[in-house]
Amino acid sequence: MAALVLPAGLLVVLLLVAPMLLLFRISLNRFSPTELMVEATTAQNYLQAVQDPYYQQVLLTTLGIALGCTLVTLVMGFPAAYWLARMESRWKSLATIVTLFPLLVGNVVRAAGWMALLGNEGAINAALIGLGLISAPLPLLYNTGSVVVGIVAVVLPYMILTLAAVIEGIPRQTEEAAANLGGRPMTVFRRVLLPLALPGVMAGCVLVFILCMNTYASAVLLGGPQFKMMAPAVYDQFVRGNNWPFGAALAFILLTVTLVLTVLGSALIGRKYRR
Amino acid sequence: MRPADTRRWLLHGSIAVTYAVILAPVVMVMVISVFRQEIVSFPPAGFTLEWYVNAWARQEFARGFATSFQVALLATLIGVPLGTAAALALQRSRIRGKAALNTLLLGPLAVPGVVAGTALYMFYLRAEFWIDRDITATLQGLVAAHVLLTIPWTVRLVSASLAGLDVSAEEAAANLGARPLTVFRRVTLPMMRPGIVAAALFSFIQSFENLELTLLLVGPGRTTLPVAMLSYLEFRVDPTLAAVATVQILLVAVLMLVTDRFVKLSRVV
Repeated sequence: MAALVLPAGLLVVLLLVAPMLLLFRISLNRFSPTELMVEATTAQNYLQAVQDPYYQQVLLTTLGIALGCTLVTLVMGFPAAYWLARMESRWKSLATIVTLFPLLVGNVVRAAGWMALLGNEGAINAALIGLGLISAPLPLLYNTGSVVVGIVAVVLPYMILTLAAVIEGIPRQTEEAAANLGGRPMTVFRRVLLPLALPGVMAGCVLVFILCMNTYASAVLLGGPQFKMMAPAVYDQFVRGNNWPFGAALAFILLTVTLVLTVLGSALIGRKYRR
Repeated sequence: MRPADTRRWLLHGSIAVTYAVILAPVVMVMVISVFRQEIVSFPPAGFTLEWYVNAWARQEFARGFATSFQVALLATLIGVPLGTAAALALQRSRIRGKAALNTLLLGPLAVPGVVAGTALYMFYLRAEFWIDRDITATLQGLVAAHVLLTIPWTVRLVSASLAGLDVSAEEAAANLGARPLTVFRRVTLPMMRPGIVAAALFSFIQSFENLELTLLLVGPGRTTLPVAMLSYLEFRVDPTLAAVATVQILLVAVLMLVTDRFVKLSRVV
C-alpha cells in the first residue's frame, strides 16, 4: 500500500523539485548579451540584485504591500469569520459558498471587475460625478491604493475560511463564562477569544502573506506600468530581458525572503503567547 | 443608542464592508457584460447580450476557453487518482517519513506560481533540447504542469476525509471475510467519496483559472483563457472581456452548486 504514494511523489519530484534545482543552478550562471547564458558558479546575480536601487525598491514595495495587506485582511476578516463560525441557521452553508465562490473565480476576473469600478469612466467616479460631489474623475486606478484593494479582495476569503475553521472549534461557553464573570466585550475578545484563535490567526496570516508576496495579476492590471512588485519583475526578466540567470536569482530572493519572514513571524508570535 | 447597540452596528457594518469588497468585482464584471456601449461608462446606454456572441467570435477567447477546459479536465483526470492513491498510502499504511512525504506533496501549493512557472519553463526548454520535441506551448506540457496543481489539493482534501474515518469499519469487513479489494471497493472508497468529489472540483477550477504557473508555458496558438484575458486587459476592460469573464464565473458557480448536491462544501473546506 505504501507504494501508492510513489506516482504522485515522483511526479512532484520531476516537475517541481528538479526544475527548482535547475533554476537555482541557472541563478549561479553568468549572463552574456551575445550568448545569453554562460556556465559559471558565481553569486554575481544575487549581489547585483541586492545592490541595485531599483530592485531594492521593488522588494521594499512588495514587502510593504504584503505586510499592509495581511494586516488589513486580518482586521477585516476577523469579524466576518466570527460571524460565519457562530452562524447556526441553514444559511451557514450558503454563506460559506458565497465566501468560497469569489476565491474560485480567479484573480484576472476580479481584477477586471476592479478596473470597471475604479477607472476614470468607472462606476465609482460616475456615481460621484452624477451626485455632483466631484467635477472631474478621481485617479482611483493605477496606484498603490487600487493594488491594495485588489489584493485584499483576493486574499480575504482565505483569511475568513481559515479563521472560521479555528473559531468554530472554540466552545461558545468559554466566551459566555468570561462575560458572566464580568469581562467586557473588548476584554473577552482580547483575553479569551483572540488567544484561543491564535493558531488560526497565525495560519491565516502566513497563508495570506505568502499569497500577497507573490501577487501577479493584481499588480500588473491594477498598478499600471510604473508599479512594480517582485513576481512581475521575475517574469519580465524571462520574457523581455532574456536575462535568465538574473531572473532566476530574483525568483530565489523572493522565495527566501518570503520563507524567512513567515518562519520568523510565526516563531515571534508563537513565543509571545506561549506561557 | 446603548453601547451594545453601537457595537452590534459596528460589527455588522464591518462584515458588510468585508463582503462588499469580496463580491463587488465579481458582480461588476457580470453587470458590465450586458452594457450596450462598447466603452464602459455609467450609466449604461442600454442592455444587450451581443457581446457574448462577439466574445465567442474572437479566436483568442474561444480557443483559450477550449484549451483551458481540455487542460483542466485532463489534469483532473490524471491528478485526482494519483493524489487519492498518495493520500491513501499516507493515511492507511505504515511508511516512514510521512511528514516529509506530506510536505513534498503539498509543495506545489507552497512554491509561488511565478517561481515554479519559470523553473518549469527552464526545465521544459532543457528537456526539449534532450528529447528533441516541443514541450512548451503543447497540450502535454500544459497538462503536466497543471497536474502539479491538482495533487496538493487532492492529497489535502482526501486525507482530511480519510482522517475522520474509523479504520474499524474496514477491519470489520475484513474480519467478516471480505477480500482486500472488496473492502476497498465496498467500504473505503464510498467513505472517501466526498473528499474525492471535492478534490475533483477544486482541481478542475484551480487548473482552469491558473495564471501564474501557466504564463511562460503558453505560446502563440495555444493560450489558456486566463492568459488571453490578461493580455487583453493590459489595454482595456470592455463588455466583450466582461462577457468572457461572466462565462467563467457562471461555469464556476454551476460546478460549485452541482458539487454541493453531492458533498456539503461547508463541511470540506
